[in-house]
Amino acid sequence: MSWLAGAAERQQVLAAMPELADSYAQLYAQLWTLPHLPARSLELCRLRLAQLHNASVEWQKSEAELAPGQRLALAEWPNSDLFDSAERACLEFCEVYAMDTQALTDAQAEAVKQHYGDAGLVALVEALGLFDGMTRLSLLWQLSTVPPGEQ
Amino acid sequence: MASKPRVTAPEQKTGNVVRDSSLALVPETLDPYLAVNALIWLGGPLNAAEIEMARLRNARTVNCVFCRNVRYDIAIEAGLDEAKVALIEDGFIDSDLSDREKLILEFSDQYLGNPAAIGTDLQQRLLAEFTIEELVHLSMAISHFHGFSRCAVSLGGMPDDMPRMEVSLPD
Repeated sequence: MSWLAGAAERQQVLAAMPELADSYAQLYAQLWTLPHLPARSLELCRLRLAQLHNASVEWQKSEAELAPGQRLALAEWPNSDLFDSAERACLEFCEVYAMDTQALTDAQAEAVKQHYGDAGLVALVEALGLFDGMTRLSLLWQLSTVPPGEQ
Repeated sequence: MASKPRVTAPEQKTGNVVRDSSLALVPETLDPYLAVNALIWLGGPLNAAEIEMARLRNARTVNCVFCRNVRYDIAIEAGLDEAKVALIEDGFIDSDLSDREKLILEFSDQYLGNPAAIGTDLQQRLLAEFTIEELVHLSMAISHFHGFSRCAVSLGGMPDDMPRMEVSLPD
């Protein structure tokens, strides 16, 4: 149970600011329908951030379908053949972003752009910001439960 | 830090700093982003000066040169002057900032550093000073600023330095 509002789920906390919660939900929902970047690549990055933050609530969620075996192999993605080159480019970018955004290289950005173009790179960094933010808030608010519809 | 932009912003200019940026390459998220941004500044119980303190604390941590040197006019109007901005540094705990302002910075640091490690002492002090609505507002503000300042850094093109610049909330 969260120390904030005695809530277990994010939506219960956000209920304190319903208009902002709705607006944020619209922004978040847009990410999963973008033409610039497939939802599966985004979901892999979201889950990888959950792993790196050790955020079990975010890890338990499922926002988009993955290929068979990818979730289980995600922690060892560099050594797995379950991830294509575009997903690898996104995951490498995601990992450096998570550790130190200033350390991202032009080559890592270029690798993402080779698959998804300039718009794809912008979409990826926007998404990473939102995913990282939701993950940090889950931890900060000490959420304990994933809503049934998000598992 | 990459001083060369990693993407090319659209050539067509509108005069709106956000709509003219590389974020315009993803038009699907542009209006939703601006809507969230407006609500962060205008739609919550914390005043613009308090929001700006959290934004500047984040900018300092992320080392986003643009974010660090921008000042929102509505925050200045709400009472945030440069003397107070100068206190948003290491050692702020011993500064002349109010207890409420120090808590805003402590909470921001917890989010930015190790959110999972928030202790019961800080939780209790936050709950004693702020309403739940204010804490949700502050949480969403620091999350929003953190995400989009890192977006700016990730996309490159950041100058090594720039003068302080006053801006208005983009439409």
